[in-house]
Amino acid sequence: MKQMIFVLGVAVSLVACSKDDNSGSNAVVETITVKDLSADTIIGITPGAPPTGGFPFGAGRYTFYSLETNKIVPASDSASNKWDLAFRGTTIATNSGNSGPGGGGAFVFVGLFNDLKTIPADSTFRIDNAPSAFAIPTGSNRAWYVYDGINQLVNPIPGRVLVIRTATGKYAKVEILNYYKGGTTPAPTASDAIKLTTQRYYTFRYSFQPNGTKTF
Amino acid sequence: MTQRILWLSSFLFGVSSLVAQSKDTLSGSGAVTVFTATKTERLLSNIAVPVQIIGQKTIQQAGSLRLSDILSEQTGLFMTNGFGTGVSMQGLNPDYTLILIDGEPLIGRTSGVLDLKRITVGNIKQIEIVRGPSSSLYGSEAMAGVINIITDKSRKNSLSVGTRYGSYNTADINLKGSIRTNRINYQGFGNYYRTDGFSIRPNSRERSVAPIERITQQHHLGYRFNDQTNLSLNIRYNHETIKNNITVTNNGNAINSTGLEKNDDLNATLQLSHQFNQRIKNATRLYGTQFKSLQELVSDNGLPYTDAFKQQFARIENQTDVQIGKALELNIGGGYIHETASSTRYDNSESVKTNRIGYAYIQSELKASEKLTLIGGARYDHNELFAAAFSPKLALQYKLNPKFSVKASIGRGFKAPDFRQLYLNFTNTAAGSYSVFGSVEAQKIINELNRIGQISSLEPAFYQLNNLQPEYSTGLNIGVSFQNTQWHITANLFRNNIDNLIDSRLVAYKTGGAQIFSYLNVKNAFTQGIETDIKFKYNARWSFAAGYQFLLTGDQADINAINEGKVFTRDANGFSRRMSRSEYVGLPNRSKHMANFKVQYDYQDFFANLRTLYRSRWATTDTDGNGLFNSNDAFADGYVQLNLSVGKTLQNGLNIQTGIDNLFNYTDVLNLPNLPGRIVYMSLSYNFFNKTSK
Repeated sequence: MKQMIFVLGVAVSLVACSKDDNSGSNAVVETITVKDLSADTIIGITPGAPPTGGFPFGAGRYTFYSLETNKIVPASDSASNKWDLAFRGTTIATNSGNSGPGGGGAFVFVGLFNDLKTIPADSTFRIDNAPSAFAIPTGSNRAWYVYDGINQLVNPIPGRVLVIRTATGKYAKVEILNYYKGGTTPAPTASDAIKLTTQRYYTFRYSFQPNGTKTF
Repeated sequence: MTQRILWLSSFLFGVSSLVAQSKDTLSGSGAVTVFTATKTERLLSNIAVPVQIIGQKTIQQAGSLRLSDILSEQTGLFMTNGFGTGVSMQGLNPDYTLILIDGEPLIGRTSGVLDLKRITVGNIKQIEIVRGPSSSLYGSEAMAGVINIITDKSRKNSLSVGTRYGSYNTADINLKGSIRTNRINYQGFGNYYRTDGFSIRPNSRERSVAPIERITQQHHLGYRFNDQTNLSLNIRYNHETIKNNITVTNNGNAINSTGLEKNDDLNATLQLSHQFNQRIKNATRLYGTQFKSLQELVSDNGLPYTDAFKQQFARIENQTDVQIGKALELNIGGGYIHETASSTRYDNSESVKTNRIGYAYIQSELKASEKLTLIGGARYDHNELFAAAFSPKLALQYKLNPKFSVKASIGRGFKAPDFRQLYLNFTNTAAGSYSVFGSVEAQKIINELNRIGQISSLEPAFYQLNNLQPEYSTGLNIGVSFQNTQWHITANLFRNNIDNLIDSRLVAYKTGGAQIFSYLNVKNAFTQGIETDIKFKYNARWSFAAGYQFLLTGDQADINAINEGKVFTRDANGFSRRMSRSEYVGLPNRSKHMANFKVQYDYQDFFANLRTLYRSRWATTDTDGNGLFNSNDAFADGYVQLNLSVGKTLQNGLNIQTGIDNLFNYTDVLNLPNLPGRIVYMSLSYNFFNKTSK
């Protein structure tokens, strides 16, 4: 746990936020960009050859994030409604189902972030049933990313918006922009070491509607 | 191996003052005949489909050793990397070009690619390249076209030896001889090739081209019963040994392996031909071929790995050519194929997979007038393992005048699913334990794994698993050609629509996350463009040739999705935005522009040439994650390659040639691992008989 807190402390200091004006009709909702949110960064490689060895691993801890307060939530509050999303590697959990006590949920919207002005009334929010079925499906080419196996890189799929119901039942939309430190994916020719050490840093933008409506 | 060039060039020079058109490929077709386009011997100038001939002289003056060397210098062809060196024609993958030696198909494809480096060019009379679908005559695989290698069967007693040595310790030795009596003729050919291979990646123990040794022998025995009846036997045997030092790096964890790969390739043809009378000819061909591959890998961690593959192909075919009146010729043929394969990558290496094919074809050629020739043909292939294929073709040639002619053809091609796509049962324990199952195996295996609780999820593609259908293409070619004593210009417009393309798809996840892939008929694609060749003979000494291909490719489903606004990419901020049609680049690994230019100088027993090849940039990786290739993705840079060669024949039968390939030393570690840096070579050859000319 000490290690986890240390990791989070570093992460908080790294997270930088920027705010820009929302161009929508309802000027209340702002769009926030979160940079370099670390999500269980790689600390080693299992010795030996695959399939049992050779795989990179982190500390195995989620980074909990509150969209409402735009802050990292300490892991000690994981069993609370204080967080909305939790990041570990490419897995994004919502505060719902067996992931947390909240009334969260999510689904993946195919389209542009700015085009999603109102969450359609007939939308179905999924809830987490870890480890097999997260509200935001895990795996390549299923929700927000595609894995380029030749170059061993994770690329967020353009035109995918994660529509989130927060722990307290409010709504937000999230677009993952990048998975690597500094918001820049390493070149295909970059060394394995660089690809390993710079991954699991999320850059994403989001809009949170505090008034409980489904309109952004 | 160079001796022929030189005596041929001096021979050609010697006679060029006597005849208006020499046999030199630079100055046009002359009396060159083609077999491949119609499965009968025809004058090149009378062929209704796009055909290109590469003659022996051209091959030898380019200093080529392997088939890929000379093909890479032809307009519109480019060599692909991965699973050996394959050829892409009219923008289609190597899987869709049929490779023949003396009219019989070569087998032993890995992942759809037939490694052209297995074929030596030391004994080639000419290479015939037919573009556009030719399944109406040849059946499966002839979708993009057909490349037929016609071996040299000398008509007189001869004996010659040729050697070449060059960079990377690459050595090549040819021995060729023939004996002829009134009834019997024999020709033998042997080739030894070796190279140290090379690594263009600095400090790597892994070589992008591994150390290789190849031995090829070819024997041709002909027996003439009388003027009407001939019997011939052709045997070719190729053996190659490849040494591999492989380092597999998985997330920074390197595993070194030492590998040895042995490939054996045996082909035998027995042909009996009989001319009943002036009008009817018949040929029966019995063909058998076997490809055997064995790979052994010993790794640091002590896990030995063996991969074996064996494929056999036997065929009997009969063709009758009937001349009816002056205007009509019919070619009627039929045959039966028995094909088997076994592999350690199938469910059980002892189990032999079999496919049997019966087929029949007919082609009629009508000379409607002096100017107009019409060809219609069709072939029906009945397969044991999958749906039957019907392949029609129509072609016409219209000669406006002796200089101008127009050609048009439309045809259907197909490629049958191969054994790998049906029966593969492979799990890669070295890279994430993913599995690939052929379509016949996939449902069976996954259902069984599911029953014992080893499957965590089934993907939508799983429910689409079905019996694989052949892949189909429809090809349209329209060309013009102009020819006079100095110029030969051809231009050909082409369009290929390919349906039912087989591609691998993720069908399930195992518990633990390992992925399972299988094959489905899921994609469509098109390729279209123009191929142009210009040859100009300035005078007896100087000649020039230029070629250019413009190529557009794509998938109509992708284009529809783009037009409907369903495809996205990212802007400079990393925010998603809609992708526009103009950003779409089509299929990966295709260059929009390809060009070549050649300057040739011939004077008496001396020649020199300069050959330039250009390829514009091509898409390599989908880096923006939208599943298709657009200008926001990773590209390989376009490049220019320059090759030089000079040679001289001495009076005593000795020939000497030297050359430099890739003069600018262009390399691209990531995208062109098979392209070595600058290569310098020298060759010597000696003719024991026929020292000066034919």
